[in-house]
Amino acid sequence: MGCPGPGALFSQGPENHVSTETQSIVTAEAESKSVRQAMRQLRRSEYGKVPTTEGKRSQNRRETVAGYGFLLPWMLGFLGLTVGPMIFSLYLAFTKYNLFTAPEWIGLDNFVRMFTEDPQFMQSVQITLVYVLVGTPIKLAAALAVAMLLNYRNKGSGFFRSSFYAPSLIGASVSVAIVWRAMFSTDGPVDSSLSLFGIELGGWVGNVDLVIPMMILLAVWQFGAPMVIFLAGLKQIPQELYEAAEVDGAGPVRKFRSVTIPMLSSVIFFNLLLETINAFQVFASAFIISNGSGGPAGMTNFYTVYLYKRGFADGQMGYAAAMAWVLVIVVAIIAFILFKTQKSWVHYAGENR
Amino acid sequence: MFNIRKRRVVAAAAALTASAALVLTGCSGGGSEAAAEYDPDEKVTLNLAFWGNDVRAAMYEEAIAAFNEEYPNITVNSSFLNFPEFWEKRQTEAAGGGLPDVMQFDYSYLRQYSENGLLLDLSPYLGDIIDTEPLSENILDIGVVGDETTGIPTSTNAWGLYTNPKLLDQLGVEEFEGGDWADYDAWMKEITDAAAAQGVTIWGGTDYTGRIQNFELQQRAKGEDLFTEDGEPNFTEEDLAEFWESGSGIREEGTVIDQQRLEEIYPLSAFDSALTASELTWDNFGAGYLGNLGEGYTELGLVAPPVTEEGAKDLYLKPSMLHSISAKTDHPEAAATLVNFLVNSPEAGAAFGTNRGIPASETMLEGAELDPLGEQIREYEESISDRLGDAPPVPIVGYGSLEEKFRLIGQELAYGTLTVDEAVDQFFGELDVVLNE
Repeated sequence: MGCPGPGALFSQGPENHVSTETQSIVTAEAESKSVRQAMRQLRRSEYGKVPTTEGKRSQNRRETVAGYGFLLPWMLGFLGLTVGPMIFSLYLAFTKYNLFTAPEWIGLDNFVRMFTEDPQFMQSVQITLVYVLVGTPIKLAAALAVAMLLNYRNKGSGFFRSSFYAPSLIGASVSVAIVWRAMFSTDGPVDSSLSLFGIELGGWVGNVDLVIPMMILLAVWQFGAPMVIFLAGLKQIPQELYEAAEVDGAGPVRKFRSVTIPMLSSVIFFNLLLETINAFQVFASAFIISNGSGGPAGMTNFYTVYLYKRGFADGQMGYAAAMAWVLVIVVAIIAFILFKTQKSWVHYAGENR
Repeated sequence: MFNIRKRRVVAAAAALTASAALVLTGCSGGGSEAAAEYDPDEKVTLNLAFWGNDVRAAMYEEAIAAFNEEYPNITVNSSFLNFPEFWEKRQTEAAGGGLPDVMQFDYSYLRQYSENGLLLDLSPYLGDIIDTEPLSENILDIGVVGDETTGIPTSTNAWGLYTNPKLLDQLGVEEFEGGDWADYDAWMKEITDAAAAQGVTIWGGTDYTGRIQNFELQQRAKGEDLFTEDGEPNFTEEDLAEFWESGSGIREEGTVIDQQRLEEIYPLSAFDSALTASELTWDNFGAGYLGNLGEGYTELGLVAPPVTEEGAKDLYLKPSMLHSISAKTDHPEAAATLVNFLVNSPEAGAAFGTNRGIPASETMLEGAELDPLGEQIREYEESISDRLGDAPPVPIVGYGSLEEKFRLIGQELAYGTLTVDEAVDQFFGELDVVLNE
């Protein structure tokens, strides 16, 4: 349905910042600068070979054609599979459409119903916000902590890096959600181990109060992707800065606050944005753990799960499309706010601010 | 994996012997006539979709094997899902125009799919490929929407109260003797208390107010179906509030199994897992229960549901399921042949027994060697004859969604996350939406 993947949404933003930044994670800023210079020289010398402006123009045209030629498969996919359905779903958002008969225009009724007549929608929004606002910071903190540990020693770090990354490879899969469900059942491994410490919580899966914490734990456990990015960022911080700080008598906490955080702020920004958008789109794990019902008592009825149920189980495609667009707009606003605030806290290496 | 395979082999072998025996005794069902009509050389593949569990899937395998004995040219690819997922999948397929050729169909969705022209009108095949001789007129009428026949009922079932004699024995509680809902509550409490005294985790039953059928039962006792012929709701907010309120006692006292436990064992039910000693449900669920309960359990009790109003005709025979064909199938004759086989043949009867309810077709019933449970269900349906009234009108479009909504609200009531008034509000809000769709 109409929600673009994180990538699609991302490209709408001021991507320059981010793409240069990702580059700088991989290659040192100085290096990339010299590469760019070399490229420029190369291009200049190429043009130099063509004597007339006529030839230059045709070469330009040929390059343009070739460029679009290479773009074509992607463009077709983008237009046919992303833009087309998105526009259609925007139309559906203003209709009543039950899949069986033609959509019927009803104006803003879907949106009115959403915000005034649908308590389930409100509950769904509420639990999704809790999941995003609590889950994402914990996940990023865990990712950063582990990345710093891995950065500390080189010995065996390859092994640990892989093993910490593994959960995010398998995390979205059906089997893990099923295992997760079994682990948090009454007398399951989690319940039994907590009982050892005298904490009697019972099963988490069917417990209205514990099922969101359980879902957040599942998300946190999959911190591999932001961790790898943090790790790459940490490796970019010049050792001299730490040495200088040490000479000035800074302790580990001070070094973390005054060197690591500012130097890593661009990477933190990148991870925060991506993980927030991802968290809004939580679906598979919740759907599987609740057997598609969004239970217990609607506590795993996250936004996308509810959207799916409205669209596909109840056949209210128009309403589901309207929900999808509300999500797109909310996520876009959050992304916009993050981009606006980054000026005050994100520090890009090589910029003089 | 190994187990399933082994079971399939056993099932296939059983099917082979069964059909061989039937051929030897010259009892070859209504299919032979159709075979003449149908070009036997054309190789076709049909998709068949049904809801159920692996017990039912093995039965379908057996029936299909028997079908292929007779029609080796028709390959049948079957797939199955749980009930809610089954309908989600059909819904998307319906929009995309790719419904399976032959489907097990439910009464509550029949109107919606028929009125939108998604199901093949079977009228041309009736009395031809599909033998109507063994099916009574009122059985065939069940599958008529407008002036088209879009479904053939396989079987009928009725609402009943299943009990677990082994658990009752263990706890020293007598079988439910009948009575009103308060008597049933008291009987469940006796079981729960006995279990608590013995230190075992068994409850008397589940919260019956979570199911719309029990509400329907109580409304019908007042002489009112849930919906009128015109599809207008026939109950008030007060009726519903009163019904949900009536369950608050058993919920709060812990007479019924707690919702948290139910959530953990899903998709199995508490009765499947021997956690409760009784369950109000359709009487064809028995075979599935025995299958899921496992080896230790060989029999079930089946008695009439609690009485709301003495002498009321609150129960009715419902088509437990129908078979329908997609309007867009490429092989309508072959599909009709398969439907005829699944609805009428003694072989199908032998395969399914009473898993899909008591066979509606006489020839299928003859083939069904009713196991003790099947016999019990047949006797049960006879025993309630003075409580059986007319079936309610074909369910409104969207009834399936309402049924699911009722179930989910019932869960919230059990968790205490909704008050009865909020629950009633939500249900009527949903009802409005469904009626306006």
